[in-house]
Amino acid sequence: MAGVRGYGGGIVGRFSDEPDEYPGVKEYHTARLNQIEGFFYTSDVLRKLADICDEHAGGLFNFHGSTGDIQILGFKQEEAEELFQKCTHLGFDLGGSGSALRTPSCCVGPARCEWATYDTLHITDNLTREFQNEMHRPTFNYKFKIKCAGCPNDCIASGARSDLSIVGVWKANIRIDQKEVAEYAKKFDIKKYVVDKCPTHCMDYTDGKLTIDDSNCVKCMHCINSMPKALRPGLEKGAQIRIGAKVPMVQDPRLGFILIPFYDVNKDKEEDYAFLKDLIQKIWDFWDEYGTNRERVGELIQRVGVGNFLEAIGLDPLPEMVEYPRANPFIKFEEYLVPDDEEEGKEG
Amino acid sequence: MPDVDKGTVRITDIGPPHYEDFLPPIIKRNYGKWLYHEILKPGVMVHVSESGEKLYTVRVGSTRIVSSDFVREISDLADKYCGGYLKFTTRNNLEFLLDKEENIEPLIKEVQALGFPVGGIDHSLGNIVHTQGWLHCHTSASYASGVVKALMDEFYDYFVSDKLPAKVRMAFACCLNMCGSVGASDIAIVGMHRRPPRVMADRVKDLCEIPSTIAACPVDAVRPKTIDGKPSVEIDEDRCVYCGNCYTVCPALPIADPLNDGVAIFIGGKVSNARTKPTFSKLVVPWLPNNPPRWPEVIEAVRTILEAYKEGARKGERVAEWIDRIGWPKFFKITGFEFTKYHIDDFRIR
Amino acid sequence: MTDEQKQKIKEFVVNLVKEYHGKKRFKPQDLEKEVEQNFQSENITRKDAKAAIKELTDNGELIYGYAGGSFLTLPEDQTQ
Repeated sequence: MAGVRGYGGGIVGRFSDEPDEYPGVKEYHTARLNQIEGFFYTSDVLRKLADICDEHAGGLFNFHGSTGDIQILGFKQEEAEELFQKCTHLGFDLGGSGSALRTPSCCVGPARCEWATYDTLHITDNLTREFQNEMHRPTFNYKFKIKCAGCPNDCIASGARSDLSIVGVWKANIRIDQKEVAEYAKKFDIKKYVVDKCPTHCMDYTDGKLTIDDSNCVKCMHCINSMPKALRPGLEKGAQIRIGAKVPMVQDPRLGFILIPFYDVNKDKEEDYAFLKDLIQKIWDFWDEYGTNRERVGELIQRVGVGNFLEAIGLDPLPEMVEYPRANPFIKFEEYLVPDDEEEGKEG
Repeated sequence: MPDVDKGTVRITDIGPPHYEDFLPPIIKRNYGKWLYHEILKPGVMVHVSESGEKLYTVRVGSTRIVSSDFVREISDLADKYCGGYLKFTTRNNLEFLLDKEENIEPLIKEVQALGFPVGGIDHSLGNIVHTQGWLHCHTSASYASGVVKALMDEFYDYFVSDKLPAKVRMAFACCLNMCGSVGASDIAIVGMHRRPPRVMADRVKDLCEIPSTIAACPVDAVRPKTIDGKPSVEIDEDRCVYCGNCYTVCPALPIADPLNDGVAIFIGGKVSNARTKPTFSKLVVPWLPNNPPRWPEVIEAVRTILEAYKEGARKGERVAEWIDRIGWPKFFKITGFEFTKYHIDDFRIR
Repeated sequence: MTDEQKQKIKEFVVNLVKEYHGKKRFKPQDLEKEVEQNFQSENITRKDAKAAIKELTDNGELIYGYAGGSFLTLPEDQTQ
């Protein structure tokens, strides 16, 4: 087996099928290390990682694996403990693997993006520290991924793959700088490339003035992406929480659904993300209680029904949660009335 | 065991290094205060802060798999031009962050001299994200890095320019477990097994725990069977979904197969919410052979897709939006890809 | 949970893993559920079970294995 004492993940064992023919790669294990949020590094820390990798592994890295971890490739089990300790002394810890939380990850966020509606780096760092145990000591039914995107462009692809996806949104009006709109008008046809492509047709560009009916805006980002100097996301910033996205195995890929249409993440930050952590714990408790081996939380929710899941974690159903209401008539009403004589008959 | 190894204290459960210690000073000063950005040329953009400070980003196409020597080379460049700071992106690009505009061109020259392209921003073909592949995954049906290298060599020009109708995000997963979550890409290439694992009946008893092998199958396709008087297993080929879980547990059930492994191509996925909702990629080519080292069949298929898209899509249309507009029958007509029964979804868990 | 209770839980868990060694692979949550049931009368919770198991893995009395899912086993089990 490959691993370090006390941890049930972070090191993925790779053994050759033909150890006699290729003794050099008889064992070729991979270590997952928590990346620095936003993938920011210094040359100093990178050189030290390179030295560790040369000394204890095969001199190869992934910057980064798909989940977000740094990966150090190609070491033997006998090197694992020392490699791990050198990494922790440098400040890096192992990520998750197996039936555990994966290293949470995020987009570049407010560090270098004007669109982030909340501090993606801060929340991801906070959650990663909070859930060390869930990452290092696997007690889940299967993997669980948390990814934080600062705006609906979702550069971290959270909505397509994370069990819990946090995507920035806002409530107030999109901020317009008419002077800069006029500058863009010199470069391209604003009506054709911006207004006509708005999915809810809530924009108008007449006589050189851009107007937006924000009450009908679905926060898709198209207009803002097209004219970043003229348009900015509105204030009253927050995030949307989605649940249940996953890749194919075993019942088709799934995008998940909106669990919380507007999460006041910036207020929750002041309370050390107490609301979010409580929500995540409730989801895990439910999954722990009702899930089966290798069942992702999204599959469990589909199996038991979204309604039952919402009841269990104490959330009310909202129209935002579904693409559209049900089309079939097979409603299982939980209560029905019984006429008095039937009641009496029963009692008699 | 004592908690002291080789004279040092054993450290666990510390999480990642704190990101604030790795942000360039210009980013620390302007954190959360960025006002807008502009793309100056392919691969180069500037972010302007409320304070008026400007941060220049040079995006460099790197690879997912890098050597320690490469790490040292880019560290030297970061020292020379960026005060020792650098970052990576989610698509395995490298980004140099400059506070002086005059450093852009000298940096680009040095990066290119090392053999790395600058680009991948705006209406370009982004860097291809991929999984581990033959290099170090046991269930892979294709090489991943090798195919990606062949593709990026071929479509290099689309990375370093911005002449596509919109951004094209391409991804490669080496088997259908899709570790890379490639399924929501403009073009997704997926390693495909065509044949269920073979049972090396004489070795199952010695190499495998039969109950856990049976339990590992997510679709109950592995069953106990005595073969030639030895306890072994059999695989229901109709049920098998080629996930490779049984092989993970039992090395006597190899799934890799040079005769039958290959790749499929799915297109029209996206993750951004811009204009249309996020959606998964859909099958266009069910199987192409692994043909190393250059994978000509895969390259031709991707070229057909990219050229049809470039020709047919309107400015700003992602692949998904283009096909939504013209319809799938038209897509198959103009690309000449054969539409088969495999394109029609018939998968049901039984 | 008292120290004495924790010790009893740890012994219970190790014995269970030993007893079923080679026959059943316990996921950590299987063991937690067993502890919960067995110590119901003593008001032992899932959290307590987790804490006791963490001590067992931290000091190496039990180690994690992986076979399509994580499980806990004895350190001498080198079947993987």
